[in-house]
Amino acid sequence: MDDRKKAILAEIPRLRRYARGLARDQDRADDLVQDTLERALIKLDNWRTEESPRRWLFTIMYHLFIDQMRRTSHRAEQEMLPLDSSEAIGEPAVQLDSVAALDIMDALQAIAPERRAALLIVGVEGFSYAEAASILGIPAGTLMSRISRGREDLRARLDDADRRRNIRVVER
Amino acid sequence: MTPRNFTEQDLHLALDGEMSPEDRQALDLWLDNNPEMKARMGRFSEDRDRLRAANAHLVSEPIPERFQRILTQDPSAPRLRTSWRQLVAASLVFALGAIGGYGVASWRQSPLAPLKAFADSAIQAHDMYAAEKLHVVEVKADQRDHLIGWLSKRVGVPLVAPDLSTQGYELIGGRLLPDAGKAAAQFMYQNADGDRVSLYVTREQERAQTGFKSIVEGSTRAYYWMDDDYGCAVAGVAPQKTLLSIADSAYRQYLAAEIR
Repeated sequence: MDDRKKAILAEIPRLRRYARGLARDQDRADDLVQDTLERALIKLDNWRTEESPRRWLFTIMYHLFIDQMRRTSHRAEQEMLPLDSSEAIGEPAVQLDSVAALDIMDALQAIAPERRAALLIVGVEGFSYAEAASILGIPAGTLMSRISRGREDLRARLDDADRRRNIRVVER
Repeated sequence: MTPRNFTEQDLHLALDGEMSPEDRQALDLWLDNNPEMKARMGRFSEDRDRLRAANAHLVSEPIPERFQRILTQDPSAPRLRTSWRQLVAASLVFALGAIGGYGVASWRQSPLAPLKAFADSAIQAHDMYAAEKLHVVEVKADQRDHLIGWLSKRVGVPLVAPDLSTQGYELIGGRLLPDAGKAAAQFMYQNADGDRVSLYVTREQERAQTGFKSIVEGSTRAYYWMDDDYGCAVAGVAPQKTLLSIADSAYRQYLAAEIR
């Protein structure tokens, strides 16, 4: 394996984490990783080898993901998902350790894909604002607004989930 | 030092390490006098930690062989898919026919056993419902999005109801059908003369690649094909050229819908 491929291989764990945050469902997320790798191999010459392939790979994945989301929403599958997406019929079981992890993943899936991506890239993957803006192909101001709105959305969703659980407990 | 004022935006800048150490220090002092903002920042930080924790295990897991293979293998090797793509790559069957069109039969002799089985079901389903006057479809095309979403979900395939307006056919609706223990979807189309076309979809386990194949049974002609692990069949009494054009159009629209 040449050095370029080795460098790409080393990014796979992070790509998987990023994909799982974007798409949640394990199979869909891993397909996204596969698509990204395949696309990267085709476009290997676009990567300036003096830098880490990380940003380049994250850019590819983000664009594949957004393309996918657009197609999905064309098919209106989104509105078929029940509010509590963890209870969606046919959704493969996710292996998460705790209710807290389930809640946060549900909340994350409930917010707009562009905001979700911004939160993950900056908050989880640790890219700087400048890097994140370049990955997402947006100006810094737009990035900041996606982050602040994304965090607000996430907080509101988590609060909703807490409320629902409390109601269930009371009903018992 | 003049006390500065901060906004919510600054909370994010601080959280994300986009603030100079001096500003950060000033912010911390300011937060001590603004408990509400301090709580808000604490909450954002806590949510971020939860987000980080949720999928942290993926970073320490060994790299699945599936991905290693992509980098080590010949790029022209057949690709392995788990879900989505594989879901798209479910078996699609196109059955096309005028009202009361008949035509099945000699599929049984085909060497394409998996294709034959679903094509058979597709044509039977078509014959059954294309002849209906009142109950052709279960969900009408005026609820197109719901129809497609619902059938996609039940069949386990992100479906497309192809646009066949070039061939003069309009979607009139669709229905869910049982097929050998699986769910199958049927989309029904109709042209200005009332001739009907149906698209039948199930998931298939087998994989194959064929070109278009054609059979004729009575007055009904069928075009069918398999690509990756899905197959399509188009059958009808419409002119051969029209049928082929519909088959080609459906084939292209399904390919286009697959994730690149």
